[in-house]
Amino acid sequence: MNTSTTRPEQPGPDRAEGGGRDPAELLPLVARGDQAAFETVYDQFAGPVYGLVRKVLRDPAQSEEVAQEVLLEVWRTASRFDPARGSAAAWVMTIAHHRAVDRVRSENAGLAREQKLTLGPVTGDDVAELVETALDRQRVRRCIGALTALQAEAVKLAYYGGYTYPQVAELLKVPLGTVKTRIRDGLIRLRDCMEVTW
Amino acid sequence: MSVQRHELHLLTGSYALNALTDDERADFEKHLERCPSCTEEIRGLRETAARLAMATAVTPPPEMRARVLAAAPRTRQLPPPGRNLLARAGDRARLRRLPLSRASITAGIVTLAAAVAFLLVTQISTNRQLHQAQASSSAIAAVLAAPDARIESVPATVGGTVTAVMSVREHEAVVTTANVPSLPETKVYQLWIMTAAGAAESAGLLTVTSSGSTGPFLASGVLPGDRLGITVEPAGGTAQPTTTPVVIMPVTA
Repeated sequence: MNTSTTRPEQPGPDRAEGGGRDPAELLPLVARGDQAAFETVYDQFAGPVYGLVRKVLRDPAQSEEVAQEVLLEVWRTASRFDPARGSAAAWVMTIAHHRAVDRVRSENAGLAREQKLTLGPVTGDDVAELVETALDRQRVRRCIGALTALQAEAVKLAYYGGYTYPQVAELLKVPLGTVKTRIRDGLIRLRDCMEVTW
Repeated sequence: MSVQRHELHLLTGSYALNALTDDERADFEKHLERCPSCTEEIRGLRETAARLAMATAVTPPPEMRARVLAAAPRTRQLPPPGRNLLARAGDRARLRRLPLSRASITAGIVTLAAAVAFLLVTQISTNRQLHQAQASSSAIAAVLAAPDARIESVPATVGGTVTAVMSVREHEAVVTTANVPSLPETKVYQLWIMTAAGAAESAGLLTVTSSGSTGPFLASGVLPGDRLGITVEPAGGTAQPTTTPVVIMPVTA
């Protein structure tokens, strides 16, 4: 069944790249052990998974290791994906972000990473070999650009930096309540700007 | 926790970005069960976060593809979410409203069922017998003997210590406690597997002896990135945690 009937006109995260097949339809096949379906899902998500993990962890070798774990977890847990609860992209990227952040928080971040952040905050531009998702990327950048400076910093530090919001508050030297609020209203503005329809 | 409800609602953004501390996440997830509007909002915000993620795409190292695709056929997949052994119909309806992947029993439903049944049956035997009988269970022995077994010991907030031997390869953990306070008859300690996606799956009820220890208890379907948590729940257990965990331990490879 083509889900475009329920999600019209959406370039959406689920049809960003690779093969053009909706991963929400592929994941149930993956859950049955269909390796060809998994290859397609891999090709659709390996770039974003590796990109996100690397954004959080910084270290390429560690990022590769974690990205591999994430993609294999997609294979292992495909039966748990429920399209009624969200897109395949949200499901996969949630796993990726949790894994990356767990690595950071369990290993206490490693000093190098924290120093890097002090020297230059996460900008969204610091990774090489950007994949051809120009449209999505442009749109995200444009929408982040429409946020207030504090909203943008708070959202980026929390998500791309993998920091808890109390840590974000400390880094930005603003009260906890402010960060909480800015993260939420920043995200809501991003949602509306990107016309997310869930 | 004395946080006001409307303040809790403000945490939807941080929750969607996985930016809550463990304690707060547990509290917030409790709040979510009673807050359909939060749940709805989080759904949209998680999709938004996914867009932020998709925009970070970079070309992964080419060797990664072959490695992952070769590992897949050698990796056992989780079965579809089964019936939660402890869930009643009403609880299942409630679970559906949660924004996160469906709570369920993970791999090894049979093993887990056997472990729970075994635990209940053997409640009447002495602690020593319980300990010996359970230790001899081959599943538990397999975890303890696994080459990648890791041992983790964490103090519980209520006092005492919780120790887990985890094997990511076996996807299982063996949990024991020492010196945790015993509970009134109306309460019970419940063990949870909290997934990376934020869902909590009951791994069963822990029977604590008067000396504050539990025999080895097997939790199946544990994945790296999951966390093991123990909460105090009404006797009989619940389908989802309703109190702040007294202990949380991350499962790492």
